[in-house]
This record gives sequence, C-alpha cells and structure tokens, in this order.
Amino acid sequence: MSTPRLFIGAALLVVVACVKPDASATVALDAPTQDGFPYVAELMEHRCGTLDCHGTIARNLRIYGDEGLRYSASDQPCVPAETTTAEVGQDYQSIVGLEPEEMTAVVASHGADPEQLSLIAKPLGIESHMGGTLFSKGDDTYTCLTSWLSGLTNTAACVRALPATICALPAESSFDAGAD
Amino acid sequence: MSALSRSVTLAAAAFAVAAAVSCDPVVSDAVDALGGEAPGVRRGPLHRPGQPCLLCHDGALGDPPAFSVAGTIFDDPIDLLGEDGATVSLTDTNGSTYSATTNAAGNFYITPGEWSPTFPLTVSVTSVTTVTMQSQIGRSGACATCHVSPASASSPGPVCMQLEDGGVPP
Repeated sequence: MSTPRLFIGAALLVVVACVKPDASATVALDAPTQDGFPYVAELMEHRCGTLDCHGTIARNLRIYGDEGLRYSASDQPCVPAETTTAEVGQDYQSIVGLEPEEMTAVVASHGADPEQLSLIAKPLGIESHMGGTLFSKGDDTYTCLTSWLSGLTNTAACVRALPATICALPAESSFDAGAD
Repeated sequence: MSALSRSVTLAAAAFAVAAAVSCDPVVSDAVDALGGEAPGVRRGPLHRPGQPCLLCHDGALGDPPAFSVAGTIFDDPIDLLGEDGATVSLTDTNGSTYSATTNAAGNFYITPGEWSPTFPLTVSVTSVTTVTMQSQIGRSGACATCHVSPASASSPGPVCMQLEDGGVPP
C-alpha cells in the first residue's frame, strides 16, 4: 500500500475514533409494571436483601428494605418496622436497571423466557450465584417474580412465598435485625 | 541458564507473587481502616473484638489463619464488654451444625478444618439466655460484616445479649 493511502486510512481512523456519541440520543427501554411490585419488593427484601448479600451498597442489585439496608440515613434495620415507599422505589429501579436490554426483551414478550435475566437465572442456579440456589421453577417465589415480569403479578404466590417479617418481633432488638 | 538469569527469574516470580497477593486495594483500604492493635493487646484470640475477622483471616497467602465463621458477642450495646463463655450454635443449609464458645474478649472463631459450612446459616447464642438471629446469614462468615457499632442504616448494631434498656432480645 502506498504512503498516501496509508496516511488517508490513518486519518480516517482518527476521525472515526474521535466522533463523539450524540448526547441527546436515547434508547427506549421497557420495564415491568409497578402494579404489584410492592409484593415483589417485599419478597426480594427478605430473600435477597440481607445485609451481607444484596442489602449492601457495595453490591449490584442493591436492595433496600425494613429488614436490612435502609434508604434513609436516619433509619435502622427494623426501625421503622416497615419498608418505606422510597425503598420500594429504589428496589424497582435497581431491579429494572440491572440488565435493561434483557429486561426490555422479557417485558416485550410478556414474560417469556425469564431465565435470560440474571435476576431469575442466578437464584435458580442456572448461573453462578454466591448466594446459592434460592428457589426452583414453579414454586411460589418463582411464580411471584415471573408473573410480575409477565405483567400480571400473582400476589397470592408472593404472599405464600413470604414468611412473617422479622421486624414483627420487638423492633428494639439490636441482634435480630438484618443478617450476620 | 546462568546464575544471573536464574536470579532475575526468581526475583520476577517473587515480585509477581507479591503483587498478586497485595493487589486488592479495596481489601487493603478496609484493613487499614481498622487501625492498629489496641494498646496492651497482642495479636491473637483476644484481639480486635467487634471487627470483621474474615477481612484478614481469609486464607489469602501471607494472611493469618483462615476462619470460616468468626465474630464477637457483647454484653450490651452501651458497655460493649465481651460476653465470656457464650455458646454460638450454627446450622448450615445442609443441616450441619457446629458450636463455638466465646473467650474473655467475647470472640469466637471457627477454622475451615473444624467446620466448613454451606451458606446460608442460622445462628443462636446462649449465655444467661438464648437469643436467635431471625434472619439468615447469607454469605459472610464474619459477624461484623453487618453487625457494626453503632447501629445505622446499614447495621443493626453489634451482637449483644442485652438490649440498651436491659431487656433481652427475643
């Protein structure tokens, strides 16, 4: 290749490499409904949001809730003894923002193939998960989460999957709240 | 290979090993944040009560002996005196159980050779009374990963046998 062609090629590469992305460009993403999400949030808080798992600011899929990490700096685990609206909102953002492209695909298909989401694949044991296998296909936890992804939350399954909150116990306990 | 080449190779290998075991700045910063030993307390079973034991006792090359589960039980969140002689009873997800007894500092520790549990775990502590942790331990074998003093938005406070008001946890 001649020197002028090499020069032109290099110049084109530099130009292409230096093009800035359009700051106003957006990508449309779909997210599951917020209807019924408080049931999902409550379940996620209990099953996933202990302070040594997803109830920590250092880990992705950050989960807030009354039993673990609190969103308000003035709150403590089980004080107050209910999950706040702000915490449910943060949990929603955390879950739908984990894998937005995959979430969009799942929502667009009305919940078909939910296992493509790490949200489902990891606790099912399909993907490696430090927290281990937490539920199986067809059980109440699985049904709760996947029905929400399909657009119609099976609240009965969510309620069945959720044991009594540990915060129903005396809230002053400094030992029983949260995880290890 | 000449003696010089062997020396250079060995030095490079040693440097690589040293770099490999010391290259996690997050852990290094966390360890540094714990500060030094308390005056008059030697490194050993009584040191650093209430700190996240597995931060150092993690089995990494060059670190102190590994623990699978370790922590500190205090009397109450005000005095923060170690609860001596408390029995910490743990059960892992497979039903395997193990008990450890706290020492004069309130510390207990279990090595992987003694018990290598599969998480999640449940735990209860017995001293004058028995208190049972209502939630599971999901993945951390160090109590103080979560039970940090004082209580905050991200911590229920240290593990205590009594509440601030002198009451007993359920």
